[in-house]
Amino acid sequence: MELYVAALGFGLVSVSVIAIAAVGFTMQFGITNMINLAYGEVMIVCAYAAFYVNRAGVNIWVAMIAGALAGAVLSFLLNRFLYAPFQRKGTNLIGMVIVSLAASLMIANVLLAIVGYYSASYVADQGPLVRSNGLVLTTAQIAIIVVAVILMLAIHGLLRYTRLGKAMRATAANPTLARNCGIPTQRVIDVVWLITGALCGVAGVVAGMNSENFTVSSGAGYLIEIIAAAVLGGAGQPYGAMIGALIIGMVTELSAAAIAPEYKEVVAFGILVLVMVLRPQGLLAKRGALAAAG
Amino acid sequence: MRGFEPYKVVSALGAIVLLAACGGSSSSSAGLGSGPLLVGVLAPFSGADASFGPRYLAGCIAASLSINGAGGIGGRKVSCQQFDTRGEPADAVPAANQMISSNSNLMGVVGCTSDEASTVVPILDRSHIPMFCMTGQSEFNKTSFKYFHRLVPPDSFDAYAMIGSSLYGPNHAPYKRVALVFGDDIGSQTFVGPAVAALTKLGVTIAINQAIHLGASSYRTEVASMLLTHPDVILTETIGSAGTYLKEVKQQNGGKVIPFIGTSATIDPVWFQQVRDAIGLPDFLANYSAVDLRLTLSGSGYDEFVTQLTAAQATDPGALQYKGKSPTTHLYDGIIMTALAMVAANSSDPTVYNPKIFDIANGVAGATVVSTFKEGVDALKAGKSIRYVGAAGENNFNQYNNSQQGYNLVTMDKDSNEVTIGQLTQTQTQQIIDAGGNA
Repeated sequence: MELYVAALGFGLVSVSVIAIAAVGFTMQFGITNMINLAYGEVMIVCAYAAFYVNRAGVNIWVAMIAGALAGAVLSFLLNRFLYAPFQRKGTNLIGMVIVSLAASLMIANVLLAIVGYYSASYVADQGPLVRSNGLVLTTAQIAIIVVAVILMLAIHGLLRYTRLGKAMRATAANPTLARNCGIPTQRVIDVVWLITGALCGVAGVVAGMNSENFTVSSGAGYLIEIIAAAVLGGAGQPYGAMIGALIIGMVTELSAAAIAPEYKEVVAFGILVLVMVLRPQGLLAKRGALAAAG
Repeated sequence: MRGFEPYKVVSALGAIVLLAACGGSSSSSAGLGSGPLLVGVLAPFSGADASFGPRYLAGCIAASLSINGAGGIGGRKVSCQQFDTRGEPADAVPAANQMISSNSNLMGVVGCTSDEASTVVPILDRSHIPMFCMTGQSEFNKTSFKYFHRLVPPDSFDAYAMIGSSLYGPNHAPYKRVALVFGDDIGSQTFVGPAVAALTKLGVTIAINQAIHLGASSYRTEVASMLLTHPDVILTETIGSAGTYLKEVKQQNGGKVIPFIGTSATIDPVWFQQVRDAIGLPDFLANYSAVDLRLTLSGSGYDEFVTQLTAAQATDPGALQYKGKSPTTHLYDGIIMTALAMVAANSSDPTVYNPKIFDIANGVAGATVVSTFKEGVDALKAGKSIRYVGAAGENNFNQYNNSQQGYNLVTMDKDSNEVTIGQLTQTQTQQIIDAGGNA
């Protein structure tokens, strides 16, 4: 029993990391209609950006801001100079997926040339171990959970209670109509890439902290869980991504405790397949409304 | 009765001599023949494993220089030629066939890595060509290929050596509860079966046997499960994820790291850096050990090897960088043993000299130990039987022409240099291998 309670706590940390990343990923798709397979690599670039700032003597929680900025700028540039030109030419969704895959490979290989094969670890004090009713977490892990909760609430507030959020949802639902209604959709899309890029950056840093160390190749591993959470919740649905992250994160940890570690992803992705069979549009999305956010 | 006709006898003798001559100069069943001899380096020289070929070629060139410097094999000079398998079975087969069909003076082959061994070993064996292969595949543990030789143990034997380290290693009492933590990839899982078999037979408790998914973002639940079993030691190969796992061990275990023993693959600067950064240098130095092949790297055999490797730089400028490397050293020894077997058998017919390789390596009762080709030839000329203890030390072939020399127990210093801290004797290693069933 003790192990299951501990696994529940560990699951919360995993959920937090996946949720931050998956919400950014699914918003990119929901609002800009772009399945960005370079997302994992952008996370790693941001993780390295924070790493160098951290190694310069800056606290990792402050260095996280550098990671977020790097993610925002890189994602914005990626869209402006790579994805948007292809979309303007009418490249279909599959074509855009291939373009993002190419971007992913380019980023990974350029990064490899810069940082090399060696892994990176942050200089970060994990803090004392907190034990409570079977839960065993470091203070740094609790802080990651808090960061995730704050970011999820912020995204909720942005989408529900701000003009920008409403403009985002309108752009996602029908960009042509939104434009005709006077919404500057191009600017909205730019802001979406900046915001989701920042989320991607924060996700990269917390993923690096969570794993203790990371390499250039870590991005591909992160991306699988992110896509799984986004698809499970309903592609393009930020709240769905949160629920998807909750399920994927918890199931992986609890199945590792209940069955065996080598089956934890089998169980998690088995559930994903089951949901896709029973509800192909995902848990929250309405059938045929995959691109609609919020 | 018909009378004696001398011209018919002379004609018959002449015909016999002529037929013998037509049999080929390089494969006469008696005598060493004449003309140059060739060693084929059948290995990847391009592709993902392109780095393998050059290190084997360096060993071959050094061996040929040593042999030729001592007058050759019955006066026949030895040279080396590379045959590129590209590390692909599909490319290795035509490379092997081309090598055999166009070189009737082939005295042996070295290389045949795990990339291509399964496909080229049968071809070489059918052609009666002695070979020294650098493959760790278990399928050759009990092979029926008579011309196959292996001077390195199968990869899975690292598992036995790790168990040896946990039982006989220095600075600790024998560990009684062992956790097996290996990646879920095929390479890492190779160690698990033999380890479980040997530990069970030896009466050591397997506290937990975990196959962890490499590349996962965390292993907290796995670590919690493992800690609940209270192991004394962790045997592990989790390349790429060791830092994450061990850091979580330290976190959940009140800041204490459990001693961990790695495979030879962990003796690597990249692995070192990852784990050191995760758990800190003091904990790394206090808790890490690993196993590695035992190379003597000293004595007159090794000195000769280094001398010839240095000389090899004239034709192979990078040769000296392979000094002390297991593949280069072992294949050098393999070629020297083949050459000595030819001299001992006084034959260039591989069906005759191939069995002699076993005798040269293991020695027979009363054999004179020699460390170089020249010493071996001199001893053979003096009518002595010999045992070759070469650059890498002793060789001990079993009935399947597999040789294992025992293991070094090692660690790494603060600069990731390998440091030997103990040895497993051949007897100790063999005891564990037998317990594991030589799987």
